[in-house]
Parts: sequence; C-alpha cells; structure tokens
Amino acid sequence: MVKIVFESVTKVFKRGSNIVEAVKDANLQINSGEFFGILGPSGSGKTTTLRLIAGLEEPTKGKIYFNEELVAADGQVIVPVEKRNVGLVFQTWALYPHMTCFDNIAFPLRVKKLAQSDLDERVNKIAKTLGIDEILYKYPREISGGQQQRVSLARALVKDPSLLLLDEPFSNLDALMRDTARALVREVQQKLGVTTIIVSHDPADMFALVEKAAVIVGGNFKQIGAINDIYERPADSKVASLLGEVNLFEGEISAGRFSSSGLSLQLDTKASGKVILGLRPEDVRVGSTEPDLVHLGKFTVLVGSYQGGAFRITTKKDSSLLVFISDVPYKAGETLDLYAKKGHMKVFDQAGELVGAA
Amino acid sequence: MRYLRNILLQVVILVLVALWLLPIYLMVLDGLKSTSSVLLTPVLSPGGISPSAFLSTVRDLARPILNSLVVTVPVAAVGTYFGALAAFSFYRYTSKISDVLFSIIALATFVPFESVTLPLARLIFSMNLFDSYLGLIFAFLIFYLPTGALLMSIFLVSLPKPVLEAARADGAGDWMVFNKVVLPLMMPGMISTFIFIFIEVWNNFFIPLVLIKSPDMRTATLAAMRYIGGMGVLYNDTFAASFIISLVPLLVFIFTGKYFIRGLLVIGGGTKG
Repeated sequence: MVKIVFESVTKVFKRGSNIVEAVKDANLQINSGEFFGILGPSGSGKTTTLRLIAGLEEPTKGKIYFNEELVAADGQVIVPVEKRNVGLVFQTWALYPHMTCFDNIAFPLRVKKLAQSDLDERVNKIAKTLGIDEILYKYPREISGGQQQRVSLARALVKDPSLLLLDEPFSNLDALMRDTARALVREVQQKLGVTTIIVSHDPADMFALVEKAAVIVGGNFKQIGAINDIYERPADSKVASLLGEVNLFEGEISAGRFSSSGLSLQLDTKASGKVILGLRPEDVRVGSTEPDLVHLGKFTVLVGSYQGGAFRITTKKDSSLLVFISDVPYKAGETLDLYAKKGHMKVFDQAGELVGAA
Repeated sequence: MRYLRNILLQVVILVLVALWLLPIYLMVLDGLKSTSSVLLTPVLSPGGISPSAFLSTVRDLARPILNSLVVTVPVAAVGTYFGALAAFSFYRYTSKISDVLFSIIALATFVPFESVTLPLARLIFSMNLFDSYLGLIFAFLIFYLPTGALLMSIFLVSLPKPVLEAARADGAGDWMVFNKVVLPLMMPGMISTFIFIFIEVWNNFFIPLVLIKSPDMRTATLAAMRYIGGMGVLYNDTFAASFIISLVPLLVFIFTGKYFIRGLLVIGGGTKG
C-alpha cells in the first residue's frame, strides 16, 4: 500500500487569458491503508486534487510523493498514471461501452498480459465479492446504475491497486442504493486494506466511510482531521455549513452577552466584538427539558417538514431564522420557547474563523 | 394545416429526389441508346434500347476501375487510420506547437489541387514515381491525410474523456488505449471518414490527369474522358461509362451508408458518445 504526500502543491489552469488556481499551496499526507476523504463544494478543486494524485494532471508547482518516490514535480508528471497502479472509479463510472462487463473488469489484467486461467479466476472472484457474477456477460448499457458502479469498482480492484481513488462514486445512485454501495465499499476497503481516497460534496459519504478528511474550499485546504472533530470544531463557518446544516447569526458580543436582531443571550465566552454565532439544528431544544441549556427566546414556527424519521422545523424571531430538528411535529404559527445546548454553540469572528465554543 | 404541411414536405422531397435522380436517369437512358439514336433523339426522351454501349464500355473499363480501386482503397484506409492516429496524438498531447500544427492541417485541407500542380508533379517526378500506383497514392495522401486527421479529430472529441482516462489508469499505454478503446469506439466515425475519402479520391480527375501517362495506368475518371475525342463525342458510350464508374461509390455508400449517417450525427449532435 502507498502513502501519499503533497508538498506545497499548486495547480493552475490557463485557458487563454482566464487563469484559475484550482489548488493552492496544498500540503497533505495520506497514510498507507487509510480511508481518506476530500470534501468540498463543486468547483473547489477537490476533483483536481484527485486527478493530481492519479497522475492525470501535473502540478504547476510543488511535489507529490508516493511513499518516498517522487511521482510529479513542478509542471511534470514523473510517473504517469498507467504506472502508478491506481484503481479509479469515476462519477460516470466510465465503463468501456463496447465491452461486456467481464471484458471491462478483465481489461487491466489483459494490459498486464496475465494468463487466461489466472485472469478468469481473478475476474470471477472479484465479481463474486461484489455480487455481479450474474451479469458478467452483459454490456454496460444493459445493466442498472448500481450494477455499473460495482463493475467499475471491480475493474478498479481486480488489479490489486496500491491506491483506490473514488470520484463522487455515489452521486449518480438513488438514495436507497447509495447506502448499500457505501457499505460495500467500506467492507471491501477494510478487507483489502488498500489506501483509499474519496472525493465528494456530500458529508454523508465522509461520515459513512472515512477515518480522516480534508475540507477544500476555493482551492485551499481549510481543515484536515478526523471527520467528527471537523464537525465539532470546524475551522470556519464555511466548513461548518459544508459538513451539515448550521444556523448562523451575525451579531455582537460585549461582556459575554451576544445580541443580534431578535437574539440576546448570555454566553460563556471570552470573545467580544462582531461575531457570527453558529448553532446546529440538533443542538436546539424546545423548553427547558435538560440541564445546561441557554435560553434563546420565543420563536414562531414558519413551517414544519418531515425527513428521515424526524421533523425539521423552521422558526422565526424578528428577522432571525432558526432551523432545528425535533421528534415531534409543530404547527405553523405556534410559538415555542427555544433553548440551545451549552458548549455546542460555535463562535466565529467576522471573517468566519472559529474563535471558540459557547 | 398539419396535413397541408406534410403534403408540402413530401412535394419538396419528391422534387429533390427527382433532381438527384436526373443524372442517373440520363446516364441509363442515353447509355442504352445506339450510336445513331443518341444523336437523333433529345437527351431527355427515350430512343430505343441497345446494350452495345454498355457492353463495350464494361470491357474497356475493367482495367481502369481496377486501377482506381488499387489507388483509392489504400488512400482511404491509410488516410483514415493515420488520420485517426494524428487526431489522437493531438488530443493527448496539447501544446502551443501542436496547436500550430493542427491549424496547418486544417489549412492544408483547403488547398486546391490545381494550385500546387507544378510542385506536386515535380516532386513525384523526382521521386521516380511518375505514372505509377505508388506515385498516385502518395499524391492523394498529401491531400487526404489532413482531411482524415481533421475529420477524425471532430469525431474524437465526441468520445467520453473519462473512458480514455480509465483505460490509462488501468495501465494501458497510448498505443493500447488507441487500439483497444479509441478505435472500436470511433468505428462509425472511421467508416464515415473512409467513405468520404474513398468517394473524393474515386471522383478525382485532376491528379491522375497530371500524374498518369500510359493507357494501362488510367483511372476510371480518366477512362471516361476517352470517349470524348477531337473529332466528336461518343455520347452513348460516355453516358454508359459514367454510369458504370459511379456504381462503385454508390455501392460503397449503400452498404455502409448507415454508419456514414451515424457518424454525421455525431458531428451534428456534439458531445453524445
């Protein structure tokens, strides 16, 4: 398995006079055998990062190492993609449309000129593991999206890659298939122990799969760490909202008291001046039902919707909107006395950087 | 209203088909006339049936048609394959130099044959290839390799890029990617390009006129001119010969037209792979 190191990697795209810095001075280390996630909104440079690792793009500046070997540096690919032994799963799966599923999976082995008996054995084995042994002699156009994805995964895994790269592999699947596919990928990754990198805009992929994640926004790696840590202590408000819904209130703190339009609450914080207060929907309570709550005030319900076993309630106080998750439904127009869990609120400064919890 | 529009459409199609069929009608009709009746009857109306013109020209044309095939098939095949190779390398390795080279290729397809007659003839002479198959093939390739490259690059961009990248990630080098993935996926485009070059070369009159001297080496288009003499024109023979010569590209088109149209659809449709 392979360890990947980025040393101040910058990637610039030039299209005529249009210059885009897709990745800016990135420093990363992905350990051998790790399941690593790269999370970012579209256009943030996450796919470019993956392509740099794969060897499909060369870094404009900086160095990329596989273990101790320099694979790309300063505008040059030293070890090309075909020599890096990477398994690649594309968002569109990119199966060879003119080959049967068997031939698709066998392709990397044929390139290696493996003996036919060996090849048959390995294709059948991986197909059985991924539950696609029934459709091996069909063409990609004849099978479902979920099956195509598994064929694509099988093709990536059959050659025993030292690195598995997944580019938004689940976004073309329906919600039901998605979790099955995630479970499968996780199981296979753990069994094979292959270093795996997944790129996605969906935090659910990160929570479901990865040990460590990096959040990239506008070409900058904002935060790298365990996914739960990033969720609990996001580096800034942008990262906080990328990982999940968060209520953000712009206001001011003086002598520990936060005030904004409609909100006025005493916080246990040393921060002062103009701040942004972040509050996750699951950290809001209706009524003073448990210890360690801070009173937010009386909010009027605007709308209550149902999603995945819980109710998502949107409320309003003056001009402040607040969303929270509840086990029970509330009707529009109801007035609720809302509280927030102490220590779970995030205080960001004016620029959005985290300055503390409250 | 809709009914009327349908009728109108049918009428337009009928007129176009009639226009297109007119030369074929003339070739068959007047080719079947005897040497005297072709002079005595109007071009558009029938004047008896006599197989003599067809029979005599078929015999005369056997060798020229063979000559044309010997030249046309390799030119179309090489032009298509190497055009595809060139297109692939331009697609894979983009740089300022390749951009300039590609522009030159695009320009080369617009050069009229007549404007380079002299240098071309001298080049073929100096290579000792005058009046030979090889010389003719070489001369045609000068003009139709760029055409092949240009057409194939249009088809190539319609291939889904991730599929080619997947092949590289699977360990395939450029050669393997080209032969195992690009070629099979571009078959409709390759066939379209092949047919296009085939018909262009088959119908070309000027280049063989310049580069061929001996009667045995004449291509089909040169042979058709033989019936036009200084003293007069053998009209029925000319019509019959023209018909026989145009049968070859017609047959090629009929048997592969399906792919030709599929290829054209790719060009028109843009990115659909």
